Amino acid sequence: MIGLLSYLVFFAIIVLILGVATLGLNLQWGTTGLFNAGVVGFYAIGGYAFAILCAPPRPELMANFGLPWIVGIIGAMAASALAALIIGLLTIRLRGDYLAITTFGVAVSIQLVTLNWEALTGGSLGLTTIPRPAAGLFDSSLSANIFYLALTLGATALVYWGLESIIRSPWGRVLKAIREDETAAIALGKDARLFRLQSFVLGSTIIGFAGALYVSFIGFVSPFDFAPILTFQIWTMLIVGGSGNNKGALLGAFIVWGLWSASGTFISMALPAAYQTQGGAVQSILIGLVLVCTLLFRPRGLIGEQPTVSRHLAS
Amino acid sequence: MKYLIGLGLGAVLGALASQTPAMAQSGPACPVKLGGILPLTGSMGPVGKRISDSAQLAVEHVNAGGGVKGCPVQFILRDDQGQSTVGVDAAKFLVDVERVSAITGTVSSGVTLPILVSVAAPSKIPLVSCCSTAATFTTLAQEGKTGGFFFRTLPTVKTQAYASAAIAAERGFKRISVIYINTDFGTGMVKDFIKAVEKLGPKVVKTVAYNENQPSYRAEVNVALAEKPDAVFFVAFPQDGATMTREWVSLGGTQNMILNNSLRSPEYVKSVGPKFLQNAYGMDNASVSGPTVEAFKTLFQAKYNQSPDGPGIYNQYDAVIALGLAMNIAPNLTGDSIRDSIRKIQTAGGTVVGTGPDEFKKALALIKEGKPIKYVGATGPLEFDANGDVSGAALIWTVKGDNLAVDRTLTVEDMNALMKKIDG
Repeated sequence: MIGLLSYLVFFAIIVLILGVATLGLNLQWGTTGLFNAGVVGFYAIGGYAFAILCAPPRPELMANFGLPWIVGIIGAMAASALAALIIGLLTIRLRGDYLAITTFGVAVSIQLVTLNWEALTGGSLGLTTIPRPAAGLFDSSLSANIFYLALTLGATALVYWGLESIIRSPWGRVLKAIREDETAAIALGKDARLFRLQSFVLGSTIIGFAGALYVSFIGFVSPFDFAPILTFQIWTMLIVGGSGNNKGALLGAFIVWGLWSASGTFISMALPAAYQTQGGAVQSILIGLVLVCTLLFRPRGLIGEQPTVSRHLAS
Repeated sequence: MKYLIGLGLGAVLGALASQTPAMAQSGPACPVKLGGILPLTGSMGPVGKRISDSAQLAVEHVNAGGGVKGCPVQFILRDDQGQSTVGVDAAKFLVDVERVSAITGTVSSGVTLPILVSVAAPSKIPLVSCCSTAATFTTLAQEGKTGGFFFRTLPTVKTQAYASAAIAAERGFKRISVIYINTDFGTGMVKDFIKAVEKLGPKVVKTVAYNENQPSYRAEVNVALAEKPDAVFFVAFPQDGATMTREWVSLGGTQNMILNNSLRSPEYVKSVGPKFLQNAYGMDNASVSGPTVEAFKTLFQAKYNQSPDGPGIYNQYDAVIALGLAMNIAPNLTGDSIRDSIRKIQTAGGTVVGTGPDEFKKALALIKEGKPIKYVGATGPLEFDANGDVSGAALIWTVKGDNLAVDRTLTVEDMNALMKKIDG
């Protein structure tokens, strides 16, 4: 029983962290229509910035400051925001598939930088012994994980609440207007480019925050944590859950990650020992199949975007 | 969302209600569970699948030889997909829900390390890897960060790097270009290789890192060719390695090739074309010759109708058998006792036991009588040092006609002499 609980706590933490990243992407894609195919890049910047700020110093590394947890989190968000601002300024004129290709390229470049800038990032060996907040206070790994769960739950709630309120604000309505018809929004006197940039930076900052939470939880970071497949997974979470709906983003993170992890369990239980080696392939097929079915039967995601009708019209 | 909050609250409440120490495990409950995490899909899939075949074979042998403390061993294999988050999740599930006594895995150091630091070490579950080569594991162990729960059955990259450097010097190569995979494995190997060759005579004129899974490596090959080397060292995995080698040969590169252990696979030789590899040599770990190695080969061949030559296969077998023996020696199946017993499989002056079910049965009988054993496995005698690393012999292989052949082996003594010469 304790074992199952301990696993569920662990599972919930990962879901929440991926959920935060999906919320960030939802602001960019779901609300503003920015095709960010470089999610993992910002996730990596957040993760690495946190690790570099908080990990204890090592002689072979130039940084590693051993700063307090909260400084690391703020630094990670600042680093992702800065990176997003620079990339945004350069690319925000690009639309749709062009932006997708550019951001994808940027994400790959970021991963390559982490792989090659050995003095800063530890190269392929990564950075180890990254601290968790209040790690010394708990005597069992379960209570430490429960504390971290409470922390990520709080963080997710904060991000969710913040995004809900700004999307409902005039600022959020402009983003939706740009997504629906950019020319019309410009005709109404809105500086579409500025709004797109703001949305891109804010979304990427949230994704970077998620990266920092993940690295702090695992306690280790290496370039292999940021393979392009993660971008694909986070996108799947958003599309399956329901793009344009923050609840959908969180539900999608839960469903997709749950599917990823439960299918592995299911396969290892269902297949006889002699066929377990083939289980990995079956699992991949299963994941693909469920995703395709979801999209066929619920093309707008499990909870799609709620139609926005003006208060004045409704009454 | 509501569900998630509910889940979180439930977890917190549940934990408050159960602040008692985890239940002490009393006596083994049959079956004894052993977790396995290996890459069955993804870019390491082709390698990982054969490694897990080897693990399955070892579990079969353990069970045929009497299991663990009278119980059969149930092997629960999970796919890490070469992705660290997936691997860590699988490990957490195995430890917490399946309550495995130990885990064997995985291949990429980038997946094994997070499993070790976030799951195995905090939960005190021994983790025995067949294939993770990163030097970080040794560093962490020296700093006491692993709790002593990490073991690996393959020698660190140093053995391979030094052995290939020694042969390069022996063959009289003067200018060597290196193309290597940009992972901890590749960079570690190149670092040690450069250190060794420069000490022994030849010069490394160019090192080029490459990133996996690309359709072509023409750019990397051209950079490496520009220095007009008289030999080239490929540190690669079979699929990418074959692409790169074909491009190297077609652009007029020398056929004096040095190949790393992962390329010791029939598929690689076949897709490059054996006639281009007649001057190539490679090294691999430890597959020392001897009756225990031959016994393993025969058993593997009989079971899968395939030769066990390939990266990690011998090492994975030993990883599982080492755990099987240690679990039998351990007074109980807690992580601590298994960890403390794992070095007792190699007692000086103990009775030698080898590979296969009959030898395992023999080992169990000896353990029951309280007599010391000395396990000589598919990779030879397995002796873990204080950091959980093993040192080993190196093997030099070549391509003769259409097939892989073993040229000769450098014994543990040869390697120790070589290390002394290079490290001073």
